[in-house]
Amino acid sequence: MADRNADRASGGGASLTASLTIDGERVPFAPGETILQVARRAGAWIPTLCYDPRLEPAGACRTCLVEIDGWRRLAPACATPAAADMVVTTRSDRIARHHKTLLSLYMTDHVADRDACETGAPCELHALADRVGAATDWPRMEPVRAGRPDDRNAFIEFRPDRCILCARCTRYCAEVEAVSAITLAGRGSHTTITTADAASLVDTTCEMCGGCIDTCPTGAMTEKIPLREHAPPDRLLDKVRTTCNYCGVGCQLDLNVDRAAHGGRGRVVKVTSPPPGTPPNDGNLCVKGRFAYQFIEHPDRLTRPLVRDAGGSLRETSWEDALARAAAGLRGVADRHGADALGFVSSSRCTMEENYLMQKLARAVFGTNNVHQCAAT
Amino acid sequence: MATDRDKRAEILDRVRALGGLTPGVARQVARDTGVAEAEVFGAASFYHLLAEPDVRVRVCTGLSCELAGAGDVLARARAAGWPVGTCACLAACDRAPAVLHGRDTLAGIRPDDVDRAAGDWRALASSAVPERDWRGDVGPAGAPADRLACDLLGEPDWSGSAFARAAQLGPDAVIAEIDRAGLQGRGGAGFPAAVKWKSVRSQPDGDRFVVLNADEGEPGTFKDRELLLRRPDKVLEGLAIAAAAVGARDVYLYVRGEFGAPWRSLERAIARFAASGALADTRFHLHAGHGAYICGEETALLEALEGKRGMPRLKPPFPTEVGLWGRPTLIHNVETIACVPAIVQRGGDWFRALGKTGPGTKLYCISGHVRRPGTYELPLGVTVDELAAAAGGYVGELRAFSPGGASSGFLPARLRDTPLDFRALADAGSMLGSAGVVVLNDTADVVAAVANQLRFFEAESCGQCAPCRIGTRFLRQALDRFRAGAGRGAALAQVADVAWQMNEGSICGLGQAAPLPLVSALRHFPEEFADG
Repeated sequence: MADRNADRASGGGASLTASLTIDGERVPFAPGETILQVARRAGAWIPTLCYDPRLEPAGACRTCLVEIDGWRRLAPACATPAAADMVVTTRSDRIARHHKTLLSLYMTDHVADRDACETGAPCELHALADRVGAATDWPRMEPVRAGRPDDRNAFIEFRPDRCILCARCTRYCAEVEAVSAITLAGRGSHTTITTADAASLVDTTCEMCGGCIDTCPTGAMTEKIPLREHAPPDRLLDKVRTTCNYCGVGCQLDLNVDRAAHGGRGRVVKVTSPPPGTPPNDGNLCVKGRFAYQFIEHPDRLTRPLVRDAGGSLRETSWEDALARAAAGLRGVADRHGADALGFVSSSRCTMEENYLMQKLARAVFGTNNVHQCAAT
Repeated sequence: MATDRDKRAEILDRVRALGGLTPGVARQVARDTGVAEAEVFGAASFYHLLAEPDVRVRVCTGLSCELAGAGDVLARARAAGWPVGTCACLAACDRAPAVLHGRDTLAGIRPDDVDRAAGDWRALASSAVPERDWRGDVGPAGAPADRLACDLLGEPDWSGSAFARAAQLGPDAVIAEIDRAGLQGRGGAGFPAAVKWKSVRSQPDGDRFVVLNADEGEPGTFKDRELLLRRPDKVLEGLAIAAAAVGARDVYLYVRGEFGAPWRSLERAIARFAASGALADTRFHLHAGHGAYICGEETALLEALEGKRGMPRLKPPFPTEVGLWGRPTLIHNVETIACVPAIVQRGGDWFRALGKTGPGTKLYCISGHVRRPGTYELPLGVTVDELAAAAGGYVGELRAFSPGGASSGFLPARLRDTPLDFRALADAGSMLGSAGVVVLNDTADVVAAVANQLRFFEAESCGQCAPCRIGTRFLRQALDRFRAGAGRGAALAQVADVAWQMNEGSICGLGQAAPLPLVSALRHFPEEFADG
């Protein structure tokens, strides 16, 4: 894994010690780089489906095959190390026929209608099939892959008719999360993605990070309805980059906003990961970051200062009034019972600065060490 | 102390010991080994002998068995309410039809045998031929032993004299003899054996392994079964010589799960050599397969040995550099390794001169429409007519033959003079493969035979890469539509493109060869596919 990260970090130019030829152009590369990495840096178009820079290359989807002089067979660019003076061809009649026939074959075993396929997530397979001019009139396969429709987990759904068995999800689960909750199972055309004994994800080691959804190129792994309540296709959503506020790591995430919802006020309809390579989280999220965004629209959410009236009911007030009432209450307790009668509890959802101020308030203003925060244990 | 590596390698055997993949078994094996539960489940579900624990009896659906009436056997077993299923070729084509009973193959099972068992599937074993009789016809009878490398009819030789001779010669001289012999891999690819030996030997110091590929599963092929049953001495001695030559001590024998009798034969032979010490300190590790044709592909076999799903690896790197557990590994088919003792004893030149159009003798299997189906050791490069003559002649008139298993497709009778060797058959758009020849006479339905083989490849594709996973299925469906009367133009319109893609795009030889039955039949028997 260290090597792979070194590969990904390379390309800056410091250690480009050798060179190869891609489509007639000389391209320098660093030791350990694959043909795919070098070619993409050089601007060549090599399509991939099973490739995710966070994972060991599998070479299984076969879309990235290229020609190498002196090699009888086409080679997977994602898994073939660049070698000095290699002569690589990414554009030829043979490669074009390969792309077209491979994608035509894929599409016989996939949801044919693009709009129907893309409810919830964009489909890289459809996009690629369109781009290479795959046939749409080949006879279709009857569906055979088993799903787990009764999985009672709240977040993650597997739609077998969209799955292309690229195994990004299972490899992500094993290699990045080290969880191995899901696996390829069965053999041949019956191969599917499942869990041990086809159990619900909640009865496995799954941590509900949703990385399988993030890495899936076709939307076969997807957020469960009603998490995905939005009507418009994914491509019509705005992505707003923000920092997750569930803990102090500072993960970057993209709020997917349906601008038209709520009469134009907009609504966050799902959270997705930024692309791999985005620091600090490299496209990874946890269950809270990815799925726990519904508080944004929750009716219990406090969005204005509230105080209790004489009858004990909450009523809206101004910040000045609310802060004055809180200060008076705290002071009253300290005056009557001493500062140690107070306790201050902060949250890991606050920023570090806010947490710092909270302990300052406790210790310096009131003079008590009774201060705690949920991430402190 | 068992390492994580060893524990991982054990998981499939543990699932087997617990009765197969029933609910909770993956969890228990995970608990006992520390391997993730889903990994255990995913690996075990790949192998049909583990994944279908309720199926106790399996009827072979191979072409020779189908020609011999396996369909009736299956129908009667189903009618009797047996826990019956089907399986791919059991390597008993000469004793068709065959049935798998637990892990033992019962040869020559007739519909009557099912009736005689009177509803009790367990009784089938006792009415079937005894273990020893799984040995089929071999020949040629009366051939002098000094003209044969495998010598199936010869008495086993437990002296270890070839191993001793190899020790005298030293590794470099042994490899030079293998080189001089021109020995090519008998598993199907025909790769020069000496190149592999040199490569493994030249790897930097460290662990290295020798692996025996005894996962004989190519439809129409049963020669390795005969070797394991009749000459396990040659197999083990060849392995010991190879291990010493490349600097390995550990030898892993991967024996297909359906080979109960050959397994026991190897067990006895290993014990015999261990007792005599004739093969010095070579350590033999027997490892059972669990039902998956693809594990005959060498890198899929390595994955299976490591306790994983039998999905072929990308090549390069080749096993000689990165093999079992990432170490340099010499992997050979049973027949290839069985040729080694004779080469060491009699010299590479002797072996090379045995052949007709290529070096050495070859174990040819022949089944289908011939009088005496069996395994015949003949000079490499005989024709199908010469082979059939050794097998007592054709039954009926030769119409078509499959020269090297399902992966070689079908050739017409007019190509009967083509030498059955690696080069000539490749030039004819076919391949020698495992030299499992299936003969179809003028009563045979070529299209039905093609359909049989397409079903085989669809069932045995590992599913890893799309060209093979989808392509095998696509072709089978296309031919089904054609047979249902859809007409060639409509039903078979995409065959050329799909076959091209499978050949170009597939990771391993299975997907690359899987279109051949249909493509070769379209080419050589166009009248069978006329629109109508």
